[in-house]
Amino acid sequence: MTIHRVIRGVQRYQGWVGGGAALCLLAGLYLGLLGSPPDYVQGEVVRIMYIHVPLAHTALLGYTVLAGGSVWYLWKRDPVVDNMCHAVAAISACFTALATATGMIWGKPTWDAWWTWDARLTSFAVLLLILLGYLMLRTMIDDPDKEARYAAVLAILGFVDLPIVHFSVEWWRTLHQPQSISLRGVSIASGMLAPLVLMSLGMSLLFSYMLMIRTQLLYLHRLLDAKKGRLLSRFHAPNADS
Amino acid sequence: MAPFKTIRWIVWKDVVIELRSRETLASMAFFALIVLLIFSFSFSMDQRAAHEVIAGIIWVAFAFTGMIGLGKSFSAELPHDCLDALRMAPVSRGAIYLGKVAANVAFLFAVEILLFPMLVILFNLDVVEDLSLLLVTFFLATVGLAAVGTLFAALTVQIRAREVMLPILLLPMVVPVMIAAVEATKGALNGDPPSLYGPWLELLAIFDVVLTIASFWLFDVVMDA
Repeated sequence: MTIHRVIRGVQRYQGWVGGGAALCLLAGLYLGLLGSPPDYVQGEVVRIMYIHVPLAHTALLGYTVLAGGSVWYLWKRDPVVDNMCHAVAAISACFTALATATGMIWGKPTWDAWWTWDARLTSFAVLLLILLGYLMLRTMIDDPDKEARYAAVLAILGFVDLPIVHFSVEWWRTLHQPQSISLRGVSIASGMLAPLVLMSLGMSLLFSYMLMIRTQLLYLHRLLDAKKGRLLSRFHAPNADS
Repeated sequence: MAPFKTIRWIVWKDVVIELRSRETLASMAFFALIVLLIFSFSFSMDQRAAHEVIAGIIWVAFAFTGMIGLGKSFSAELPHDCLDALRMAPVSRGAIYLGKVAANVAFLFAVEILLFPMLVILFNLDVVEDLSLLLVTFFLATVGLAAVGTLFAALTVQIRAREVMLPILLLPMVVPVMIAAVEATKGALNGDPPSLYGPWLELLAIFDVVLTIASFWLFDVVMDA
Protein backbone atom coordinates (compact mmCIF):
# COMPACT_ATOMS: atom_id res chain seq x y z
CA MET A 1 0.00 0.00 0.00
CA THR A 2 1.41 3.36 -1.02
CA ILE A 3 0.85 6.53 0.89
CA HIS A 4 -0.51 9.40 -1.24
CA ARG A 5 2.29 11.75 -2.31
CA VAL A 6 0.47 14.76 -0.88
CA ILE A 7 0.42 13.06 2.51
CA ARG A 8 4.12 12.26 2.13
CA GLY A 9 4.80 15.95 1.51
CA VAL A 10 2.69 16.91 4.51
CA GLN A 11 4.61 14.53 6.72
CA ARG A 12 7.89 16.04 5.59
CA TYR A 13 7.01 19.70 6.11
CA GLN A 14 4.51 19.75 8.97
CA GLY A 15 7.20 20.25 11.62
CA TRP A 16 8.40 23.48 9.97
CA VAL A 17 4.87 24.84 9.74
CA GLY A 18 4.14 24.00 13.36
CA GLY A 19 7.41 25.51 14.53
CA GLY A 20 6.79 28.66 12.50
CA ALA A 21 3.33 28.95 14.03
CA ALA A 22 4.73 28.65 17.54
CA LEU A 23 7.41 31.29 16.89
CA CYS A 24 5.02 33.78 15.29
CA LEU A 25 2.37 33.32 17.97
CA LEU A 26 4.87 33.67 20.83
CA ALA A 27 6.44 36.79 19.32
CA GLY A 28 3.00 38.20 18.46
CA LEU A 29 1.66 37.55 21.94
CA TYR A 30 4.69 39.18 23.56
CA LEU A 31 4.40 42.28 21.36
CA GLY A 32 0.62 42.36 21.64
CA LEU A 33 0.30 41.92 25.39
CA LEU A 34 3.46 43.65 26.63
CA GLY A 35 5.29 45.43 23.83
CA SER A 36 2.51 47.53 22.29
CA PRO A 37 0.84 50.67 23.68
CA PRO A 38 -2.75 50.56 25.02
CA ASP A 39 -5.38 52.15 22.80
CA TYR A 40 -6.13 55.74 23.80
CA VAL A 41 -9.90 55.19 23.57
CA GLN A 42 -10.29 51.55 24.56
CA GLY A 43 -7.33 51.23 26.92
CA GLU A 44 -6.05 47.75 27.66
CA VAL A 45 -9.24 46.19 26.31
CA VAL A 46 -7.92 46.59 22.79
CA ARG A 47 -5.42 43.79 23.32
CA ILE A 48 -8.09 41.19 22.61
CA MET A 49 -7.89 42.44 19.03
CA TYR A 50 -4.60 40.57 18.60
CA ILE A 51 -6.47 37.33 19.16
CA HIS A 52 -9.85 38.17 17.69
CA VAL A 53 -8.92 39.66 14.32
CA PRO A 54 -6.43 36.92 13.35
CA LEU A 55 -8.96 34.25 14.39
CA ALA A 56 -11.64 35.86 12.24
CA HIS A 57 -9.34 36.25 9.22
CA THR A 58 -8.20 32.68 9.52
CA ALA A 59 -11.76 31.38 9.81
CA LEU A 60 -12.70 33.15 6.58
CA LEU A 61 -9.55 31.93 4.91
CA GLY A 62 -10.48 28.43 6.06
CA TYR A 63 -13.92 28.65 4.52
CA THR A 64 -12.40 29.82 1.24
CA VAL A 65 -10.08 26.82 1.30
CA LEU A 66 -13.08 24.59 2.02
CA ALA A 67 -15.05 25.96 -0.94
CA GLY A 68 -12.05 25.72 -3.24
CA GLY A 69 -11.33 22.19 -2.07
CA SER A 70 -14.95 21.22 -2.62
CA VAL A 71 -14.89 22.43 -6.22
CA TRP A 72 -11.61 20.63 -6.69
CA TYR A 73 -13.08 17.42 -5.26
CA LEU A 74 -16.12 17.53 -7.54
CA TRP A 75 -13.78 18.05 -10.46
CA LYS A 76 -11.06 15.47 -9.73
CA ARG A 77 -12.81 13.16 -7.22
CA ASP A 78 -9.59 12.61 -5.29
CA PRO A 79 -10.40 11.18 -1.82
CA VAL A 80 -7.43 12.99 -0.26
CA VAL A 81 -9.03 16.30 -1.22
CA ASP A 82 -12.18 15.17 0.52
CA ASN A 83 -10.18 14.34 3.66
CA MET A 84 -8.70 17.84 3.47
CA CYS A 85 -12.18 19.38 3.16
CA HIS A 86 -13.45 17.42 6.14
CA ALA A 87 -10.47 18.51 8.21
CA VAL A 88 -10.73 22.14 7.13
CA ALA A 89 -14.42 22.29 8.06
CA ALA A 90 -13.83 21.06 11.59
CA ILE A 91 -10.93 23.44 12.20
CA SER A 92 -12.76 26.37 10.58
CA ALA A 93 -15.73 25.69 12.84
CA CYS A 94 -13.44 25.96 15.89
CA PHE A 95 -11.86 29.18 14.62
CA THR A 96 -15.27 30.65 13.76
CA ALA A 97 -16.66 29.80 17.20
CA LEU A 98 -13.59 31.30 18.89
CA ALA A 99 -13.73 34.42 16.71
CA THR A 100 -17.40 34.89 17.61
CA ALA A 101 -16.72 34.32 21.30
CA THR A 102 -13.77 36.72 21.46
CA GLY A 103 -15.81 39.22 19.46
CA MET A 104 -18.56 39.09 22.04
CA ILE A 105 -16.08 39.48 24.90
CA TRP A 106 -14.62 42.48 23.12
CA GLY A 107 -18.07 43.86 22.31
CA LYS A 108 -19.28 43.94 25.91
CA PRO A 109 -16.85 46.62 27.21
CA THR A 110 -16.62 48.62 23.96
CA TRP A 111 -20.18 48.52 22.58
CA ASP A 112 -21.85 47.65 25.89
CA ALA A 113 -23.58 44.70 24.24
CA TRP A 114 -22.63 41.09 23.70
CA TRP A 115 -24.43 41.01 20.43
CA THR A 116 -25.63 43.45 17.80
CA TRP A 117 -27.10 42.72 14.39
CA ASP A 118 -24.01 43.85 12.62
CA ALA A 119 -23.31 42.42 9.17
CA ARG A 120 -20.08 40.75 10.23
CA LEU A 121 -21.51 39.24 13.38
CA THR A 122 -24.47 37.87 11.51
CA SER A 123 -22.42 36.44 8.68
CA PHE A 124 -20.13 34.78 11.22
CA ALA A 125 -23.12 33.30 13.03
CA VAL A 126 -24.48 31.96 9.74
CA LEU A 127 -21.02 30.71 8.80
CA LEU A 128 -20.83 28.80 12.07
CA LEU A 129 -24.28 27.31 11.49
CA ILE A 130 -23.36 26.24 7.98
CA LEU A 131 -20.11 24.64 9.18
CA LEU A 132 -21.86 22.79 12.00
CA GLY A 133 -24.53 21.63 9.55
CA TYR A 134 -21.74 20.49 7.23
CA LEU A 135 -20.07 18.44 9.96
CA MET A 136 -23.42 17.00 11.02
CA LEU A 137 -24.29 16.11 7.42
CA ARG A 138 -21.09 14.12 7.17
CA THR A 139 -22.07 11.90 10.09
CA MET A 140 -25.41 11.07 8.47
CA ILE A 141 -24.11 9.33 5.35
CA ASP A 142 -22.55 5.87 5.28
CA ASP A 143 -21.22 5.76 1.74
CA PRO A 144 -17.92 7.74 1.74
CA ASP A 145 -18.22 8.81 -1.89
CA LYS A 146 -21.75 10.12 -1.38
CA GLU A 147 -20.66 11.82 1.84
CA ALA A 148 -17.90 13.64 0.00
CA ARG A 149 -20.17 14.77 -2.82
CA TYR A 150 -23.01 16.01 -0.63
CA ALA A 151 -20.65 17.80 1.71
CA ALA A 152 -19.05 19.52 -1.29
CA VAL A 153 -22.47 20.63 -2.53
CA LEU A 154 -23.27 22.16 0.84
CA ALA A 155 -19.90 23.91 1.10
CA ILE A 156 -20.16 25.43 -2.38
CA LEU A 157 -23.71 26.66 -1.88
CA GLY A 158 -22.65 28.13 1.46
CA PHE A 159 -19.81 29.97 -0.25
CA VAL A 160 -22.30 31.51 -2.69
CA ASP A 161 -24.65 32.30 0.18
CA LEU A 162 -22.28 33.99 2.64
CA PRO A 163 -21.64 37.21 0.68
CA ILE A 164 -25.41 37.45 0.17
CA VAL A 165 -25.95 37.15 3.93
CA HIS A 166 -23.35 39.81 4.61
CA PHE A 167 -24.77 42.14 2.01
CA SER A 168 -28.40 41.69 3.06
CA VAL A 169 -27.70 42.35 6.73
CA GLU A 170 -25.60 45.39 5.90
CA TRP A 171 -28.41 46.71 3.78
CA TRP A 172 -31.03 45.85 6.37
CA ARG A 173 -29.20 47.87 8.99
CA THR A 174 -28.34 50.82 6.80
CA LEU A 175 -31.97 51.14 5.76
CA HIS A 176 -33.01 51.27 9.39
CA GLN A 177 -30.28 53.31 10.99
CA PRO A 178 -26.69 54.13 10.29
CA GLN A 179 -24.43 51.68 12.03
CA SER A 180 -23.54 53.54 15.21
CA ILE A 181 -20.38 51.65 16.06
CA SER A 182 -18.09 50.50 13.35
CA LEU A 183 -14.68 49.00 13.56
CA ARG A 184 -13.85 50.51 10.22
CA GLY A 185 -13.10 53.91 11.72
CA VAL A 186 -10.26 52.61 13.83
CA SER A 187 -7.01 53.13 12.04
CA ILE A 188 -4.10 51.20 13.30
CA ALA A 189 -1.01 52.73 14.87
CA SER A 190 2.27 51.33 13.74
CA GLY A 191 3.02 49.91 17.19
CA MET A 192 -0.11 47.83 16.93
CA LEU A 193 0.41 46.72 13.36
CA ALA A 194 3.46 44.52 13.98
CA PRO A 195 1.84 42.26 16.60
CA LEU A 196 -1.34 42.08 14.52
CA VAL A 197 0.52 40.96 11.42
CA LEU A 198 2.59 38.48 13.44
CA MET A 199 -0.50 37.04 15.09
CA SER A 200 -2.32 36.78 11.75
CA LEU A 201 0.60 34.97 10.23
CA GLY A 202 0.88 32.75 13.30
CA MET A 203 -2.81 31.87 13.29
CA SER A 204 -2.70 31.00 9.58
CA LEU A 205 0.33 28.80 10.19
CA LEU A 206 -1.36 27.21 13.19
CA PHE A 207 -4.41 26.59 11.03
CA SER A 208 -2.25 25.00 8.34
CA TYR A 209 -0.47 22.87 10.90
CA MET A 210 -3.72 21.62 12.41
CA LEU A 211 -5.02 21.03 8.89
CA MET A 212 -1.97 18.95 7.99
CA ILE A 213 -2.28 16.80 11.10
CA ARG A 214 -6.00 16.29 10.73
CA THR A 215 -5.97 15.58 7.01
CA GLN A 216 -3.32 12.97 7.65
CA LEU A 217 -5.39 11.44 10.44
CA LEU A 218 -8.52 11.21 8.29
CA TYR A 219 -6.52 9.82 5.39
CA LEU A 220 -4.93 7.11 7.54
CA HIS A 221 -8.33 6.34 8.99
CA ARG A 222 -9.68 5.72 5.53
CA LEU A 223 -6.75 3.49 4.65
CA LEU A 224 -7.31 1.54 7.82
CA ASP A 225 -11.01 1.12 7.07
CA ALA A 226 -10.19 -0.10 3.58
CA LYS A 227 -7.67 -2.56 4.94
CA LYS A 228 -10.11 -3.80 7.56
CA GLY A 229 -12.75 -4.26 4.88
CA ARG A 230 -10.37 -6.33 2.75
CA LEU A 231 -9.34 -8.50 5.69
CA LEU A 232 -12.91 -9.07 6.80
CA SER A 233 -14.09 -9.90 3.32
CA ARG A 234 -11.28 -12.44 3.00
CA PHE A 235 -12.48 -14.26 6.10
CA HIS A 236 -16.18 -13.93 5.48
CA ALA A 237 -16.34 -14.35 1.74
CA PRO A 238 -16.81 -18.16 1.70
CA ASN A 239 -19.73 -17.92 4.11
CA ALA A 240 -21.31 -15.00 2.35
CA ASP A 241 -21.27 -16.77 -0.99
CA SER A 242 -22.93 -19.93 0.20
CA MET B 1 -38.39 22.07 -26.61
CA ALA B 2 -37.50 18.96 -24.67
CA PRO B 3 -36.50 20.56 -21.33
CA PHE B 4 -39.74 22.52 -21.12
CA LYS B 5 -41.70 19.38 -21.82
CA THR B 6 -39.86 17.63 -18.98
CA ILE B 7 -40.53 20.51 -16.61
CA ARG B 8 -44.20 20.43 -17.55
CA TRP B 9 -44.43 16.68 -17.01
CA ILE B 10 -42.76 16.84 -13.60
CA VAL B 11 -45.09 19.60 -12.47
CA TRP B 12 -48.08 17.75 -13.89
CA LYS B 13 -47.05 14.53 -12.12
CA ASP B 14 -46.62 16.25 -8.75
CA VAL B 15 -49.84 18.21 -9.06
CA VAL B 16 -51.86 15.15 -10.05
CA ILE B 17 -50.44 13.12 -7.16
CA GLU B 18 -51.24 15.97 -4.81
CA LEU B 19 -54.77 16.40 -6.13
CA ARG B 20 -55.43 12.70 -5.67
CA SER B 21 -54.06 12.41 -2.14
CA ARG B 22 -54.26 16.02 -0.90
CA GLU B 23 -51.70 14.95 1.68
CA THR B 24 -49.10 17.70 1.42
CA LEU B 25 -51.38 20.69 0.94
CA ALA B 26 -53.67 19.65 3.76
CA SER B 27 -50.84 18.99 6.22
CA MET B 28 -49.05 22.20 5.26
CA ALA B 29 -52.13 24.37 5.59
CA PHE B 30 -53.09 22.78 8.88
CA PHE B 31 -49.58 23.11 10.29
CA ALA B 32 -49.30 26.76 9.24
CA LEU B 33 -52.65 27.47 10.82
CA ILE B 34 -51.50 25.97 14.10
CA VAL B 35 -48.29 28.01 14.04
CA LEU B 36 -50.26 31.19 13.43
CA LEU B 37 -52.71 30.35 16.20
CA ILE B 38 -49.89 29.73 18.66
CA PHE B 39 -48.32 33.04 17.72
CA SER B 40 -51.62 34.86 18.01
CA PHE B 41 -52.16 33.75 21.58
CA SER B 42 -48.54 33.92 22.68
CA PHE B 43 -48.49 37.65 21.93
CA SER B 44 -51.60 39.50 22.91
CA MET B 45 -51.25 42.57 20.75
CA ASP B 46 -53.00 45.69 19.72
CA GLN B 47 -52.96 46.86 16.11
CA ARG B 48 -49.78 48.85 16.39
CA ALA B 49 -47.77 46.12 18.05
CA ALA B 50 -49.17 43.66 15.53
CA HIS B 51 -47.78 45.71 12.68
CA GLU B 52 -44.30 45.50 14.14
CA VAL B 53 -44.16 41.71 14.46
CA ILE B 54 -46.69 40.39 11.97
CA ALA B 55 -44.25 40.26 9.04
CA GLY B 56 -41.86 38.18 11.11
CA ILE B 57 -44.65 35.85 12.25
CA ILE B 58 -45.82 35.37 8.68
CA TRP B 59 -42.39 34.31 7.50
CA VAL B 60 -41.64 32.05 10.45
CA ALA B 61 -44.91 30.27 9.74
CA PHE B 62 -44.29 30.08 6.00
CA ALA B 63 -40.69 28.92 6.38
CA PHE B 64 -41.62 26.11 8.79
CA THR B 65 -44.53 25.14 6.59
CA GLY B 66 -42.21 25.12 3.62
CA MET B 67 -40.02 22.52 5.35
CA ILE B 68 -42.96 20.11 5.32
CA GLY B 69 -43.79 20.68 1.68
CA LEU B 70 -40.18 20.58 0.49
CA GLY B 71 -39.39 17.44 2.45
CA LYS B 72 -42.47 15.75 1.05
CA SER B 73 -41.63 16.63 -2.54
CA PHE B 74 -38.76 14.14 -2.50
CA SER B 75 -39.73 11.72 0.23
CA ALA B 76 -42.81 11.01 -1.88
CA GLU B 77 -40.41 9.66 -4.52
CA LEU B 78 -38.98 7.02 -2.18
CA PRO B 79 -41.66 4.30 -2.26
CA HIS B 80 -41.37 1.98 -5.28
CA ASP B 81 -37.92 3.46 -6.00
CA CYS B 82 -39.41 6.37 -7.92
CA LEU B 83 -36.31 8.41 -7.12
CA ASP B 84 -34.14 5.89 -8.96
CA ALA B 85 -36.57 5.95 -11.86
CA LEU B 86 -36.32 9.74 -11.94
CA ARG B 87 -32.55 9.43 -11.87
CA MET B 88 -32.49 6.95 -14.74
CA ALA B 89 -34.95 8.88 -16.89
CA PRO B 90 -33.24 10.04 -20.10
CA VAL B 91 -33.93 13.70 -19.47
CA SER B 92 -31.70 16.48 -18.23
CA ARG B 93 -31.30 16.72 -14.47
CA GLY B 94 -31.65 20.47 -14.69
CA ALA B 95 -35.13 20.08 -16.13
CA ILE B 96 -36.06 17.74 -13.28
CA TYR B 97 -34.79 20.32 -10.81
CA LEU B 98 -36.70 23.17 -12.40
CA GLY B 99 -39.85 21.06 -12.56
CA LYS B 100 -39.58 20.21 -8.89
CA VAL B 101 -38.93 23.87 -8.00
CA ALA B 102 -41.96 24.93 -10.01
CA ALA B 103 -44.18 22.35 -8.31
CA ASN B 104 -42.88 23.33 -4.86
CA VAL B 105 -43.43 27.02 -5.55
CA ALA B 106 -46.97 26.22 -6.68
CA PHE B 107 -47.77 24.30 -3.48
CA LEU B 108 -46.17 26.79 -1.11
CA PHE B 109 -47.73 29.74 -2.85
CA ALA B 110 -51.14 28.07 -2.77
CA VAL B 111 -50.86 27.55 0.99
CA GLU B 112 -49.74 31.16 1.48
CA ILE B 113 -52.72 32.47 -0.48
CA LEU B 114 -55.00 30.16 1.47
CA LEU B 115 -53.68 31.40 4.81
CA PHE B 116 -53.61 35.08 4.09
CA PRO B 117 -57.31 35.67 4.91
CA MET B 118 -56.74 33.79 8.18
CA LEU B 119 -53.87 36.14 9.00
CA VAL B 120 -55.99 39.19 8.34
CA ILE B 121 -58.67 37.85 10.69
CA LEU B 122 -56.44 36.53 13.48
CA PHE B 123 -54.29 39.65 13.75
CA ASN B 124 -56.98 42.19 12.93
CA LEU B 125 -55.04 43.57 10.01
CA ASP B 126 -56.37 46.40 7.94
CA VAL B 127 -56.98 45.06 4.50
CA VAL B 128 -54.02 46.16 2.50
CA GLU B 129 -54.51 48.55 -0.37
CA ASP B 130 -51.52 47.41 -2.34
CA LEU B 131 -52.19 43.71 -2.43
CA SER B 132 -50.33 43.12 -5.69
CA LEU B 133 -46.93 44.06 -4.24
CA LEU B 134 -47.55 41.85 -1.23
CA LEU B 135 -48.30 38.96 -3.56
CA VAL B 136 -45.12 39.69 -5.52
CA THR B 137 -43.19 39.59 -2.23
CA PHE B 138 -44.74 36.26 -1.27
CA PHE B 139 -43.99 34.86 -4.70
CA LEU B 140 -40.36 36.00 -4.89
CA ALA B 141 -39.54 34.82 -1.38
CA THR B 142 -41.22 31.49 -2.07
CA VAL B 143 -39.09 31.05 -5.18
CA GLY B 144 -35.94 31.72 -3.13
CA LEU B 145 -37.01 29.26 -0.44
CA ALA B 146 -37.96 26.61 -2.99
CA ALA B 147 -34.80 27.05 -5.10
CA VAL B 148 -32.46 26.11 -2.26
CA GLY B 149 -35.06 23.92 -0.56
CA THR B 150 -35.51 21.65 -3.56
CA LEU B 151 -31.77 21.04 -3.77
CA PHE B 152 -31.52 20.23 -0.07
CA ALA B 153 -34.67 18.12 -0.12
CA ALA B 154 -33.13 16.01 -2.89
CA LEU B 155 -29.95 15.77 -0.83
CA THR B 156 -31.42 15.00 2.58
CA VAL B 157 -33.90 12.44 1.27
CA GLN B 158 -30.93 10.17 0.51
CA ILE B 159 -29.36 10.31 3.98
CA ARG B 160 -30.20 9.36 7.55
CA ALA B 161 -32.32 11.60 9.80
CA ARG B 162 -33.65 13.45 6.78
CA GLU B 163 -36.51 15.21 8.55
CA VAL B 164 -34.07 16.83 10.95
CA MET B 165 -31.33 17.59 8.46
CA LEU B 166 -33.48 19.50 5.96
CA PRO B 167 -34.26 22.45 8.27
CA ILE B 168 -30.77 22.37 9.81
CA LEU B 169 -29.12 22.78 6.42
CA LEU B 170 -31.75 24.91 4.73
CA LEU B 171 -32.65 27.58 7.29
CA PRO B 172 -29.18 29.17 7.63
CA MET B 173 -28.91 29.37 3.84
CA VAL B 174 -32.18 31.24 3.42
CA VAL B 175 -31.42 33.89 6.06
CA PRO B 176 -31.00 36.63 3.41
CA VAL B 177 -34.22 35.63 1.66
CA MET B 178 -36.04 35.77 4.99
CA ILE B 179 -34.63 39.19 5.89
CA ALA B 180 -35.64 40.65 2.54
CA ALA B 181 -39.06 38.97 2.66
CA VAL B 182 -39.81 40.24 6.17
CA GLU B 183 -38.76 43.79 5.32
CA ALA B 184 -40.80 43.89 2.11
CA THR B 185 -43.83 42.34 3.81
CA LYS B 186 -43.60 44.85 6.62
CA GLY B 187 -43.53 47.69 4.14
CA ALA B 188 -46.47 46.37 2.17
CA LEU B 189 -48.59 45.73 5.28
CA ASN B 190 -47.88 49.17 6.71
CA GLY B 191 -48.96 50.74 3.45
CA ASP B 192 -45.59 52.43 2.95
CA PRO B 193 -44.94 53.94 -0.46
CA PRO B 194 -43.50 51.21 -2.72
CA SER B 195 -40.37 53.24 -3.37
CA LEU B 196 -39.43 52.66 0.27
CA TYR B 197 -39.48 48.88 0.25
CA GLY B 198 -39.24 48.30 -3.50
CA PRO B 199 -35.44 47.78 -3.27
CA TRP B 200 -36.08 44.72 -1.09
CA LEU B 201 -38.11 43.20 -3.91
CA GLU B 202 -35.28 43.81 -6.36
CA LEU B 203 -32.91 42.26 -3.86
CA LEU B 204 -35.19 39.23 -3.50
CA ALA B 205 -35.24 38.82 -7.27
CA ILE B 206 -31.44 38.94 -7.37
CA PHE B 207 -31.17 36.35 -4.58
CA ASP B 208 -33.61 34.12 -6.45
CA VAL B 209 -31.55 34.24 -9.61
CA VAL B 210 -28.21 33.60 -7.85
CA LEU B 211 -29.52 30.80 -5.63
CA THR B 212 -31.41 29.13 -8.48
CA ILE B 213 -28.38 29.12 -10.76
CA ALA B 214 -26.11 27.70 -8.03
CA SER B 215 -28.64 25.04 -7.01
CA PHE B 216 -29.32 24.18 -10.66
CA TRP B 217 -25.67 23.28 -11.20
CA LEU B 218 -25.29 21.43 -7.90
CA PHE B 219 -28.48 19.38 -8.37
CA ASP B 220 -26.67 17.25 -10.93
CA VAL B 221 -24.11 16.20 -8.29
CA VAL B 222 -26.83 15.41 -5.76
CA MET B 223 -28.73 13.17 -8.15
CA ASP B 224 -25.71 11.08 -9.19
CA ALA B 225 -26.12 7.57 -7.87
